[in-house]
Amino acid sequence: MIAQRPNLNNTLAIALTAAAAVYVGWKISQSPEQAVQFAFNGLSVGAVYALLAIGFTLVYSTVWFFDLYYGAAAAIGAYGVFYLRSQETLGGLYAVNSIVVNVIFAAVTAGVVAWALYESVYPRFRARVDRSVLFGIGGVLAAGTGVYTGFLLTNPKDLHINLSPVIALGFAVLVTWLLYQAYQGVVAARVLQGLVVITGAAAAALGVYFAYLIANAPDAKLYLSWGVSCMLAGVVGLAFYRGLYVYMRARSQSPLIMLVASLGILLAITALTSIVFESTPRPLPEALGNDPWTFAGATIKGFNVFTVGVALVGFLFLLYLLKFTSFGKSVRAIGDDEEVSKVVGINTTTVIAVVFFIGAVYAAMAGLLSGHDTAIQPRMGLLLLLKGWIASVVGGIGNLYGAIVGGFVLGMIEQFGIWDLAGEWRDVISFVLLILFLSFWPKGLLPRK
Amino acid sequence: MQAETEHDRSFTQIVRKPQALVAAARNNVELWANLLIIGWALGFMLWQGVGFAITVGTVFAIWAILSVSLNLVVGFTGLLSVGHVGFFGIGAYTVAILTSDAKYEQLRTEAIPTFGWPFFAALPLGVLLAGIVAIAVGVVFNRFRDDIYVLVSFGFAIISFNVFLNWRNLTRGAFGIHEIPRPAVGSWVLDRELEFLIFALALLGLIMLLSWLIVTSSFGRVLTAIREDEQAIAVFGYRTTHYKLAVWTISAMMAGLAGGLFASWTRFVDPNSFILLESMLLVAIVILGGLATIWGSLLGAMAFVLLEEGMRFLPFLPAIHIGQARLVVLGILLVLLMLFRPQGLVGRYRL
Amino acid sequence: MRPGAEKIDDPFAIQTEDISKNFGAVRAVRRLSISIPKRGLTSIVGPNGSGKSTLVNLLSGVLPLDGGIVILEGNSLKVLKAHENPSHGLTRTFQEVRLFDQVSVWDNIMVVLTKRGLFPALLERVNPMQRDRARGILENVGLWDKRDALAENLSYGQRKLLEIGRAMAMEANIYLFDEPFAGLFPEMVVKVKEILNRMREQGDTIVFISHNMDIVRELSDHLIVLDSGSLLAEGQVDEVLSQPKVIKAYLGA
Repeated sequence: MIAQRPNLNNTLAIALTAAAAVYVGWKISQSPEQAVQFAFNGLSVGAVYALLAIGFTLVYSTVWFFDLYYGAAAAIGAYGVFYLRSQETLGGLYAVNSIVVNVIFAAVTAGVVAWALYESVYPRFRARVDRSVLFGIGGVLAAGTGVYTGFLLTNPKDLHINLSPVIALGFAVLVTWLLYQAYQGVVAARVLQGLVVITGAAAAALGVYFAYLIANAPDAKLYLSWGVSCMLAGVVGLAFYRGLYVYMRARSQSPLIMLVASLGILLAITALTSIVFESTPRPLPEALGNDPWTFAGATIKGFNVFTVGVALVGFLFLLYLLKFTSFGKSVRAIGDDEEVSKVVGINTTTVIAVVFFIGAVYAAMAGLLSGHDTAIQPRMGLLLLLKGWIASVVGGIGNLYGAIVGGFVLGMIEQFGIWDLAGEWRDVISFVLLILFLSFWPKGLLPRK
Repeated sequence: MQAETEHDRSFTQIVRKPQALVAAARNNVELWANLLIIGWALGFMLWQGVGFAITVGTVFAIWAILSVSLNLVVGFTGLLSVGHVGFFGIGAYTVAILTSDAKYEQLRTEAIPTFGWPFFAALPLGVLLAGIVAIAVGVVFNRFRDDIYVLVSFGFAIISFNVFLNWRNLTRGAFGIHEIPRPAVGSWVLDRELEFLIFALALLGLIMLLSWLIVTSSFGRVLTAIREDEQAIAVFGYRTTHYKLAVWTISAMMAGLAGGLFASWTRFVDPNSFILLESMLLVAIVILGGLATIWGSLLGAMAFVLLEEGMRFLPFLPAIHIGQARLVVLGILLVLLMLFRPQGLVGRYRL
Repeated sequence: MRPGAEKIDDPFAIQTEDISKNFGAVRAVRRLSISIPKRGLTSIVGPNGSGKSTLVNLLSGVLPLDGGIVILEGNSLKVLKAHENPSHGLTRTFQEVRLFDQVSVWDNIMVVLTKRGLFPALLERVNPMQRDRARGILENVGLWDKRDALAENLSYGQRKLLEIGRAMAMEANIYLFDEPFAGLFPEMVVKVKEILNRMREQGDTIVFISHNMDIVRELSDHLIVLDSGSLLAEGQVDEVLSQPKVIKAYLGA
């Protein structure tokens, strides 16, 4: 080990940390109830930041540039929910439904589906089936998905009914696939086929039943709209990667070029959101758990607990994906060296595209959760994005554990910071924290190995 | 034996042989960009008359001062700062607070002290204050690079916006400051739009001259070297942090000047003029026009103003959406530029 | 050679005492003490990862010292800063050619000829004397015709020459060349050799890193052999190269 020589930076950092600890300790001793309250707020705000930071980190540690599109993704997530629900909330006061928006999302979805089919299904059948037949089927499937997306967006009032066939199908496929994975290697191949047919039928029946339940539950619409918004944001994120970043990265390795390009995307999408929805803040309909619970003299909403839960589940899911699946191995390989991964035979374009999809879904989820907690406005995306970025710097750039820790730390410090200051200085506190971290702990709390 | 640039040489060729123009134009983006934007401006003026030029000219001059100043930092020194609007705001608010003669005690809300200074006394103070803040900020920012620099400069824009919005007993917060007088020399008040335009253009000329002197001096050459490889130029004996701090401060003071001009032109300031979006817009203008050229910044500002004005004549675009529509166009332009022309239309530096 | 440099009556241009540098757990340079004589060519050789480039980076202040003292022309220094190199009469090139890419060849040379202070630099325009010096250097390295091209558009050999030219423009007493011969075509190698020999004739101190033992034998007066961050041998070229431990460690024979 190398002896750490004492220097000014270390001393200052220690002094700062100590001062912060003393301050917090003093505040807690003054009013424990309030401290608990601020801690609760910090947790629920931090969960949103953490969710953003996780997605951000996943993408950053794969392609090594900051994609500002995720700010727009957060706005798309929140405004997607608004778009799908506005006709039925507040008596349709701010109802928006634009054919242009529907067509754009339908087209993007169709394009992404076409690409996904071409990347994943086409190579398997290329040798056996005629090209034109395959392209025809693929084209019909892609166009169908696009039309279906447009249909969903045009009739948000019947979202629960329109979406139920997809849920039935998805459920059946998922269960069958999971059981297939479980049986595989345990039973003989011949038995396997029979088992899959039987369980598949059972799963399909169960799926239809679920679909029936959902189709008769108008309350489910809000939560279905979450799923749809996240999917749309993800699809757009994937489309930007495949349709734009791929070519840009082929031309130049400079991360600043990508950053500026994604800044342009963020500008354009934010402005488009303002045009479609006006730039004044809007409320999102009430979600679950709006009754405050009292706990140790502080109140907390069930929804905030739910938000924290989403962040933790999102983190664990990504951890599983990265550590235990072959997809995760590819992602880490690309993060270490993209060129070598390509040589080894990893389909880098597909893997990175999926990474962008996941990142955008996380950002959209964060956006809509924070939208339910406060109001939404088109500019919210940029600020949320910056908070997520700060969280990932505070936690340690490129480290997944750092991202979740950084998110919660940022939320906590923000909330404790506004104890004595007014709430409007929240953003200032975040950025001061960022600059302190960059100056004294440039590698963050949990540096990437 | 002056070292001729390639650009100069092709230019002399065109002058000598006019038919070379056609050949040169075929694949010369710079020429096309110049012709298009200047032609667009002239066409607009012919169509709408001189009154149009007077109204739009001042907006152009303010944006041009800002983008020339930001180009010193982004284009010549390679520090991608998205926080310039902060200095713009400092200049504007200093001039607003010092010169405003509004009687706030009558308004009852958020009374602030007013001083009623003359514009020409307040402007240097605004510039100076922007410079002082820039030094303090620059000392901290000097150690960051690339994407982290972008992030902290975002931070500066947000912090300054929050200060404008929330330091209410100085800035009146969201109410804004009214009744900022126009510049006056003795009893001659620059009240007419034409007079103000000439004043603004004169300041723009001054800023351009200053920038030109800076970038063609030895100092400017060192800046480009810092942009390309900071460590390498340090090895040859330059204290790069001092250079970066100096150009950052100069640029911030220029932005402060633009702010003062802006305040006395609109005669009203509120935090909404200094939001982060404006700063991103400014970066887009600088990149659009061209990095590391002064002329490029002028072109960028001109293109932006013309874009905004041109949109007023689009039949399918409602007037309330123009402000957002220009952002959409600029955002898409930014993406296209990054894809096909990372140095901007007439730039000399690719990001 | 700078005027007045002869006055110092020190036989060594550079001496180091126990300098070290660690990168995390990797000890790149371990308590290294070497002496580089004034005037003439000194070469540093050693296997990959033996700390040659780190040594040059330490001497030129690009990396901070973790410990030890460097004596540059009689001044003992614990801290070396990159921007103080000219005041020590020292300059260098980089292993991976580091030019100012999106700047013309002309400005690549010009930028090191100008004043260092902020305000003098702000007021300074190119003067005829600097122009002549830049021209002289560009002609010396054979890049006068390329003066308007951007540095990024030069071939690898030309870039290497330009970097050497940029170092020569500093008119230092001590030149540290990090692998000036690596990756060059034979014609270019001849050219660089010529340049180094000319500089030696002028009485400059030249230190260069090389892997090519033929060039080292041919050019250098003094040889330093490093192995995993420590000094293996030091002295006259033939003498050092005949030492059994050097043959064993470096030449692998």
